[in-house]
Amino acid sequence: MLGVLGVTVIVGVGTYLIRAGSLSLGGRMTWPAWLREWFVFVTPAVLGALLGPEIFLPNQHGIFLWNNKTFLASIPTGIVAWCSRNLLLTVMVGVLCFAALSYLLS
Amino acid sequence: MIHGFRDAIPIVVAYVPIAMTFGVLAASSGIPWPLCILISACIYAGASQFMLISLVSTGASPLSMAITLLLVNLRHFLYGTTLGPVFSSWPERLKWLAAFGLTDEVFAVSCRALDRRPNPSYQFALILSCYIAWISGTTVGCLTGRAIPNSVSGILQFSLPALFIALLFLNYRKWTSLLAAACGAGLAILFQYLELKSLGIIVGAMVGSAIGTLCSKWRTSPSE
Repeated sequence: MLGVLGVTVIVGVGTYLIRAGSLSLGGRMTWPAWLREWFVFVTPAVLGALLGPEIFLPNQHGIFLWNNKTFLASIPTGIVAWCSRNLLLTVMVGVLCFAALSYLLS
Repeated sequence: MIHGFRDAIPIVVAYVPIAMTFGVLAASSGIPWPLCILISACIYAGASQFMLISLVSTGASPLSMAITLLLVNLRHFLYGTTLGPVFSSWPERLKWLAAFGLTDEVFAVSCRALDRRPNPSYQFALILSCYIAWISGTTVGCLTGRAIPNSVSGILQFSLPALFIALLFLNYRKWTSLLAAACGAGLAILFQYLELKSLGIIVGAMVGSAIGTLCSKWRTSPSE
């Protein structure tokens, strides 16, 4: 947990400096268009990097999809997310599917 | 000041359940409750806080956690181009004080108030209301999360990937963004196979976002 404490302090200070720097520099900074676009794509790329191993390698090794309840539960979760555009509904459906699969595959 | 409190209400209503969810998930992931509250107090950024829980669960190194989360929060640098001119009349120390509470939602509400040129009392009322809501929700959530039995917390852990799937498909529906996510996922999986899990997240983030940017430029460049 000491590592998590260190990360918390570093990310907290870093995020504050990013926000403060942006307000202080204000309109004086003109960001090139490619950099502004890159900022936009960082979040989906990080979400993908977190989701990939979580969904396809839940046991840290080997891709086994037929008894991988994380992968199987992600399918209805993704469908509900795409169709409903409702965050709360998506998470509820996902957790319920995961719970059902945990019971069925146990 | 009253307008600041009033405009904060929609954010407060949204923040409390989200912060409680963070508190519950963080506590049931094994993070001590004082540290859960400190995370909300220091980082004060929803998406990266949830990502922190996920990174802790996967055993990523502290260095890769810090780099990944700072990369995600770099987008806050863009706030200055919109709000900077409005705050230019403020004393420097007040700008630095106001910056702490500048979350995505506070930024969005501040932008709506641009024509009214928000003064410090408005902005600090807005910021303080939202911050108290975030910390309070986290406190309730992490104290509740400690009481959840292991069997239930194991099920609840799927709410993190479900949340990430929701964030991806709600906010990033363009094919360029989904391609960036797919590249990030592919590289992270590859690096995990190579026993370089921590590095994989950073490489996935950097390369995925670069590919998304390049494809977006290719799509919008004039044809010859």
